[in-house]
Amino acid sequence: MPHHLELASVSKSFKSNKVLDDISLTADAGEIVVIFGPSGTGKTVLLRLIAGVEEPTTGKISIDGQDMVDVAPEHRDVGMAFQNFALFPHLNAFENIASPLRARSQGDAQVKEGVARVAKLLKIDHVLNHAPRQLSNGQKQRTALARALASSPKLLLLDDPLRNVDAKLRFEMRLELPRLLRQAKSTVLYVTQDYKEAMALADRIAVLNGGKFVQVASPEEIYRHPATVGVARLFGDPTINLAETTVSSDGAIDFAGQKVAIDRSYAMFKDRPVTFGVRPEAVDVKNGGGSGLAAKVMAVTPLNERTVLLLQTSSGAELLASLPSSSAHIPKSESSVSIAFNPNGTHLFDRETGAALRGGRA
Amino acid sequence: MSSELVLRNVDKIYGAGAVHAVRDLSFTVKPGEITALLGSSGCGKTSTLRMIAGFETVTNGSIALDGKAIHALAPAQRGVAMAFETYSLYPPLTIAENISFALKAQRLGQADVNKRVRDMAEMLEISDVLNKYPSSVSGGQQQRASLGRALVRPAGLYLLDEPMGQLEPQLRAVLRGRIKHYLREHNCTTILVTHDQTEANALADRIAVMEGGVLQQYATPAELKARPANLFVGTFIGEPPMNVFPVEVKDDGQTISFAIAGSEGQSLTYAAGEFPQALRQRLKSETALMLGVRPHAVRIGKEGVKARVITCQWLGDQTHIAAEIAGRTVVSVSHEQIAAKPGESVALSIAGQDLHVFSSGNGAAIAHGAELV
Repeated sequence: MPHHLELASVSKSFKSNKVLDDISLTADAGEIVVIFGPSGTGKTVLLRLIAGVEEPTTGKISIDGQDMVDVAPEHRDVGMAFQNFALFPHLNAFENIASPLRARSQGDAQVKEGVARVAKLLKIDHVLNHAPRQLSNGQKQRTALARALASSPKLLLLDDPLRNVDAKLRFEMRLELPRLLRQAKSTVLYVTQDYKEAMALADRIAVLNGGKFVQVASPEEIYRHPATVGVARLFGDPTINLAETTVSSDGAIDFAGQKVAIDRSYAMFKDRPVTFGVRPEAVDVKNGGGSGLAAKVMAVTPLNERTVLLLQTSSGAELLASLPSSSAHIPKSESSVSIAFNPNGTHLFDRETGAALRGGRA
Repeated sequence: MSSELVLRNVDKIYGAGAVHAVRDLSFTVKPGEITALLGSSGCGKTSTLRMIAGFETVTNGSIALDGKAIHALAPAQRGVAMAFETYSLYPPLTIAENISFALKAQRLGQADVNKRVRDMAEMLEISDVLNKYPSSVSGGQQQRASLGRALVRPAGLYLLDEPMGQLEPQLRAVLRGRIKHYLREHNCTTILVTHDQTEANALADRIAVMEGGVLQQYATPAELKARPANLFVGTFIGEPPMNVFPVEVKDDGQTISFAIAGSEGQSLTYAAGEFPQALRQRLKSETALMLGVRPHAVRIGKEGVKARVITCQWLGDQTHIAAEIAGRTVVSVSHEQIAAKPGESVALSIAGQDLHVFSSGNGAAIAHGAELV
């Protein structure tokens, strides 16, 4: 059975500017694939190619095994929703949602039923007779989503649909979306710049940077085993701590002038310029002195359910640690602490290429 | 150098009484304290900041710095350093010149000025753009330069308007830490205005939560989380937000139970002895209440209220599980990576000490755990 969606060596250039460079990706029926990356990396262009509003310069796009090269956008069975909502201003919410159904010349009863179903799901059934300008941003966003879902397209392309809604609603929608998307039974390509959204929604995340996929993997794989230092920096809040260092022959690394033993198998990278990374939640902090690295707490900054500490070692190196706010022993500002690194949250990267270096650890 | 700021019964009315932007606002910022004015747009936080800076007149009330009324003085005479979004950098000056411009009045030696600018730039990660002009650097860098210009000079009071709104996410945590450390080390009395509760919680010693021109609560971040004055504050602070559901309370002498509205008889039940008499008396006088519970206090286990899992999302350092009871979503946060399948039935429990009880009428807090408000 072919993949539902397949991109094979797709490139797209606008004049001399190559936006997408030899991209390959597959998505199975019902799978949610998140295209993640900083702005200006070609995420939207990729969706436009799949929808058929742009043509790839080279490469092939197939849906259900069929080459899309000669298939017009309206025949691709693709639904789209954008970050700027793009509702028809002269139509009320009902007619906006109904538009793809009417385009398929469905009967009035069918249209009514189809709209009612998605509107209830998205909790906008009470504003269906409102014009777009009478809707809040959250309601506009839900209306746009409802329109994309209404025709139950086999393939749903969502371009950063939560970007222009406030933090509270974004959080609520992040919880609701997986259920909605599952019920729609569509294959979903979802574009976002928010790593939490990506991790929360995706079966797989495709990290796009510089027109290429740097890593395509499950959220867990990407967080626990980032392919490059760049990917490691894009996932996690606070961002992973990084230090340029060297590995000694026993596998210990030099961190802020002290030898820190992490993984003996790191010895295989000795003499190689490396970047050491440790996630803030993998920095264990103990009050007072101890066997670990000595540091001083420069600032205590609560972050939702966690508390972030800015630490400074005696040699002046900065480091962030993140602890559950409920933890009983959160050190005070200006206090002395001893720190150690939990090997499960540490990484080694080649300093030149940025590629992850895997030790002998599974 | 650091001053005490006192606002007393301050009102701001725009037009002929058309818009009452700030109502009877009183609060004190102690010397060296960092206070955040927090609220959504239109809550009155920016009007308050502009009155303190001198960009708006005070309709009623007084603003005093170290006991001296300043609300009738021109902005430049108030001894206040500012970083405002609208208070932009001087376009014909480089970033370094913009920052050092703030030191002109000090009559420092050139070497001293240069060092202060360099140190400030290093702290704010703009060393590499010091010789560039504002128009050729990013919005985030402009914002940091503007912050640097405000912080580099000594002042009795620092006013920072959404100082980190455009900050790159990769820099946010470390800069928050550095700035908080800097403000503390230099004992800067600071007011920062923000709509972002995470920013306020990270930086402030105390947060003034505003809504509809009215101060809702002025307290430390920990206090706002543990003892929110009302439902608005309770749900505004924290992400994921506080879970809230309507309940009916019953006290049979042995147990106190909170029946969840619409849940077909499901309730949270506690030994009556967990709650003091005075609180039980107070609860008896109310039948319908709102119950609030922070996400980290919702435990998932074998015993408790039955709920159906909607979604389970692992974010790297925490897991958010949303479950449904009586059509309402309850969110539980765990610091571990845990798996729960959508559709699965789970049991949720909440310790009595983690309950927040609010009046369902005006939303005022009635109790936090066993503590009667």
